[in-house]
Amino acid sequence: MARKKLRPRLIAELARRVRALREQRERPRDSQRYALDYGTLTRPHSGRRLPARAWADVRRESSLLQLLSRLPLFGLGRLVTRKSWLWQHDEPCYWRLTRVRPDYTAQNLEHGKAWGILTFKGHTESEAREIAQVMHHDWRLVPKHEEAAFTAVTPAPPEDAQCRVPYPPLLRAMILAERRKSGDTSTEEPMLNLERTREHPWDYPAKQEAKKKAKAAAV
Amino acid sequence: MAAPIARRWFLLARRVPLPPISLAGKRCLLSAAYVDSHKWEAREKEHCHLADLASLMDKTYERKLPVSSLTISRFVDNISSREEIDHAEYYLYKFRHSPNCWYLRDWTIHTWIRQCLKYGAQDKALYTLVNKVQYGIFPDNFTFNLLMDSFITKENYKDALSVVFEIMLQEAFEVPSTQLLSFYVLYHCLAKKTDFSWEEERNFGASLLLPGLKQKNSVGLSSQLYGYALLGKVELQRGLRAVYHNMPLLWQPGYLNRALQVMEKVASSPEDGKLCAEALDVLDRTLKAVTAPACGSSEAQPQEEDGQGSEELVEQLDVEETEQSKLPQYLERFKDLHSKLEALGKVESESPLTLTIQLVKEQLPTFEAEDIATYEQKLQQWHLERVHLIQREQEQREKAKQEHEARRAAKASA
Repeated sequence: MARKKLRPRLIAELARRVRALREQRERPRDSQRYALDYGTLTRPHSGRRLPARAWADVRRESSLLQLLSRLPLFGLGRLVTRKSWLWQHDEPCYWRLTRVRPDYTAQNLEHGKAWGILTFKGHTESEAREIAQVMHHDWRLVPKHEEAAFTAVTPAPPEDAQCRVPYPPLLRAMILAERRKSGDTSTEEPMLNLERTREHPWDYPAKQEAKKKAKAAAV
Repeated sequence: MAAPIARRWFLLARRVPLPPISLAGKRCLLSAAYVDSHKWEAREKEHCHLADLASLMDKTYERKLPVSSLTISRFVDNISSREEIDHAEYYLYKFRHSPNCWYLRDWTIHTWIRQCLKYGAQDKALYTLVNKVQYGIFPDNFTFNLLMDSFITKENYKDALSVVFEIMLQEAFEVPSTQLLSFYVLYHCLAKKTDFSWEEERNFGASLLLPGLKQKNSVGLSSQLYGYALLGKVELQRGLRAVYHNMPLLWQPGYLNRALQVMEKVASSPEDGKLCAEALDVLDRTLKAVTAPACGSSEAQPQEEDGQGSEELVEQLDVEETEQSKLPQYLERFKDLHSKLEALGKVESESPLTLTIQLVKEQLPTFEAEDIATYEQKLQQWHLERVHLIQREQEQREKAKQEHEARRAAKASA
């Protein structure tokens, strides 16, 4: 049965747009979403209590923007570390700040976003990206006079040369037969690469842009 | 007539070096050329009516649009009385809590401090500086020097000390003139009062340490030692977190160890640096003070920090046990190094304050000249930037006007 042509519902469309605009205008700012009651350790915005493992850290450490609000130019070009990285890894892991956008609705300018270049366990990335978990009370500022000592990396011992081994005989025969069929006349021995795929440790900061796209796509 | 004056000068010179006292009898460290505000007054500024700017800013804030840094800089430029300083403080607060808070210009901050000093509002300047989170006032070294000097001339060492602590929190001890002025203020205050609360000790320790690391002479080395001693005392009495939380200090334990390392370095280095006997005394007293009631302090601490839970104690106990256990070793090392330094003749008997005053007299004029040259360059740079900003603003206004005209024409013709 052919469907009847739907007449364009203009008012509904207009209402949808108005609702989207109002949602955009009245979206909760960072200062509202991440405000914290330090007595009961709950977020007033969602009413949820923080996870138990975070209670000790929240009382002792500060969030990133709490540290940066006290610095000129919000600490551009300074190095910041996380206490969890200091406890977990021996090699230097830090962010070098390139851009900071504080949330101006906060009373003490202690919420916002920051971007920087990551150096994790001595390996520096090439591009700046958004700093993940800025609102976690886990951050420490590296003093200027200690920066050189902090970033000094002892070069790791050289890894073994590529470990490649010859294939087992049946697979080798299959590969050579495949080669003959496709007309490939190379005579080099097929070798199996045994190198481990390098995986990041569990606390490597994830890409914020990818997370946001995933969230937007899920809606 | 010149002869008696010359004779008096020679007599004065033969005595113990006095601090540079001007004819008015007040103590001032910076020369008149430094504090002179003619170059700043002679800069080009736009004359705007403060009421107009105020109403413009209010309207912009009501419409939730961002205020440009040029508007706030014009407002601060045109302050002409004490009440207007209060208005400007309010607008600085509002600017800091607006989307453009990052763009508060250097010249606006410099002008604000200068205007406060001109209209006798030093306490206001200090208040905005201490609450820098709310007002966004982060002055550069030249401005810090001017502010400190104004407090030193008025003999208001308490406020000068707060300024030094602010410089320490911003880690702005790059320029040698700031370092010398801070040393003067710090040693003056240390000489006056001897018992401090642990926060003051911690602040003193950090403010002595940071410039001490930059100066390569006896004053620098003694300050490093003094700073490490004070910080080590706070570390052992209050825990490591009390030392590094909200301070530009490292979270690794062992501040007393670093103090002893400074002594070793001085003892083994072939250069001329000496350590002041006063600093060595302080380290000695600290070591004795923390060793003697060691049992008492470690009992008192768990009671105080009970509320904070046992997790904190776990981390600290790891650290403190090793520190407490190392104390006898530190005492021994200190005695050895002390005798070694005395044998090498590297213990300076004069107090750090006299040494600082000597340094100030010798070296400050050269540093001042450099500072003044940098300041003039900066004034020109700021001028160029301001011109650029004004040009950009005018272009944007013209563009907006043209668009408005085009839209009106399109509406009229349609």
